[in-house]
Amino acid sequence: MNALVTEEKIPLAHDLASTSPRAEDGGRRLGFLLTLPAQILVLFIAVFPLLMQLYISLTDWSPLDGVSWWQAYGSWNSFANYTDLMGDTRFWNALGRTALVMAICVPAEFLLGLGLAILFMDDFAGKRVFYSIMLIPMMVVPAVAGYMFFMLFQSGGPINDILSTLTGQPITLAWLSNPTTAMIAVMIADIWQWTPLMFLILLAGLVGVPEDQVKAATLLGASWWQRFRTIVLPKMKTIIIIALAIRVIENFKIFDTLYIMTGGGPGVATETISVYIYKVTQNDLIWGYVAAIALVILIVLSIVVSLAISRMNRKEA
Amino acid sequence: MNRSIPFEIFRYAAILLALAVTLIPTLWMASMAFKPIAEWSATGGDLTWWPKAPTLDNFRFIFGTSTSDLIVALDRTAGKPILSSLLSAVFGTIIAMVCGTSAAYGLSRFGSGQNLPLALIQLRLFPPMAVMIPVMIMWAFFGLVDTWWGLALIYGIVTLPFAFWLMKTFFDDMPREIEDAALVEGCSRMRVFMKITLPMMRPALASSALFVFILNWSDYLIALLLTTREWVTIPVYMASLSSSMTGQLYGAKAALGLIAAVPPVIMGIAIQKHLVRGLTFGALKQ
Repeated sequence: MNALVTEEKIPLAHDLASTSPRAEDGGRRLGFLLTLPAQILVLFIAVFPLLMQLYISLTDWSPLDGVSWWQAYGSWNSFANYTDLMGDTRFWNALGRTALVMAICVPAEFLLGLGLAILFMDDFAGKRVFYSIMLIPMMVVPAVAGYMFFMLFQSGGPINDILSTLTGQPITLAWLSNPTTAMIAVMIADIWQWTPLMFLILLAGLVGVPEDQVKAATLLGASWWQRFRTIVLPKMKTIIIIALAIRVIENFKIFDTLYIMTGGGPGVATETISVYIYKVTQNDLIWGYVAAIALVILIVLSIVVSLAISRMNRKEA
Repeated sequence: MNRSIPFEIFRYAAILLALAVTLIPTLWMASMAFKPIAEWSATGGDLTWWPKAPTLDNFRFIFGTSTSDLIVALDRTAGKPILSSLLSAVFGTIIAMVCGTSAAYGLSRFGSGQNLPLALIQLRLFPPMAVMIPVMIMWAFFGLVDTWWGLALIYGIVTLPFAFWLMKTFFDDMPREIEDAALVEGCSRMRVFMKITLPMMRPALASSALFVFILNWSDYLIALLLTTREWVTIPVYMASLSSSMTGQLYGAKAALGLIAAVPPVIMGIAIQKHLVRGLTFGALKQ
């Protein structure tokens, strides 16, 4: 992701710094002082906590043990947490559900967002107002959005009411109490909230495509689809990757709306990875095990991300 | 691209459908917030789309004024959770903006802190759930659990990447001639930053701060883990508006939800010009 970001940017800061006279003498010192608070915060939240997490993950420590975390060696269990994790079906199921939600929501958000963005490409009456309204869902506090959809999907709620009107027969489906429909409901909520983000980013990309090239192609008799496929899409490649990457990353963390709508239920039917970790943290209180899960996720994510970045860098070169 | 009559009809039809889908959930909550208890659910088979007897009872209720219909006594009102949300989001924004802006300037002008861009992206990448165990232990150690200042600190750290990246792109875009001129005039670099750069950047600072504020205000998970009672924020408090005895207090929850939802929506629309830049870490400037 970083590779993409810097690629879009004009020269990198260190290129400028080495050529600019202001980098000499006092500049370096001030630069150091200015970046110091951020560096301290990063150290405070990244390095020390990770070491602590690694240590705790090798023990059976729980806050109920009555000993401080640094005395956790009392319940040292080597790598038992990690081997337990391998056989933890609830963990693997949660991971699978997270992947399923991602596999459905992200493409749906992308396609809907792209479709809407195409409709918003040229001017028409009411465009500015419509545009602002379109953006509302992603600004609604996710927990509140979760509550909205909780109300909408009640058996006596408006969704069933609309469906009853459309089908002509009374529908009183308890969406959130049935494993399949509960999953559909949380996905609908996610798509509702985050399609606007895709729309916003993709529209920004579409507007940025040079107009003269499109006009030239039109004059040469290219159809709308030909123009879109050969001129617009290639120019949009980076933007599409950024938009998808953002949603994939954020969707992996899915918690707020889902947890408020279903609490991961019925049973564990909508339990995603964040919900699972939350429940083990808060209800079971086996923090040694949670630390192990969290660390595994962090390591796997880091590997995936660095692979993605190096792959992209290779393609750029 | 296309300008035929059927296409225009299709365009408006599609957009109106999208607008309806966009607005119905929000409007349903807004309508619910003004409904008296009798209209909350469709027990009679009739669904009330628009309050027949609009009332402010739900709002009075969550602020502790007892009303005739809602005889349940709240053990605590929504006042303090709202204050908690406000204080933690505002001070979290201040921490993120002060550290982020100065670091962005240091990197953009003097090339300091080369590790920050990637480190901060990584910070954003990981699910908060996966780093919360050490954070909970540390916060407990420093006595920061269940305080608004403890929340503000973690919010400041979590949104630091956004503040940093946003301000970095703004500083990168800013012409340096004015700063150079002031330097030649004999101003110190710190003075140039404080007296010339920052005042020029006021609009950028304002939209970045609003963006960061929206993110902080929107948090649920962190507050759920780090507050227990005294300083719970709005979304955490919301769950207490239902119990096995009373069932869901739909109207009360909707009233509180409306209070929580309105500020970020207004702010977001106000800064929509910079939303793309913020959401893509400045990769797209629009």
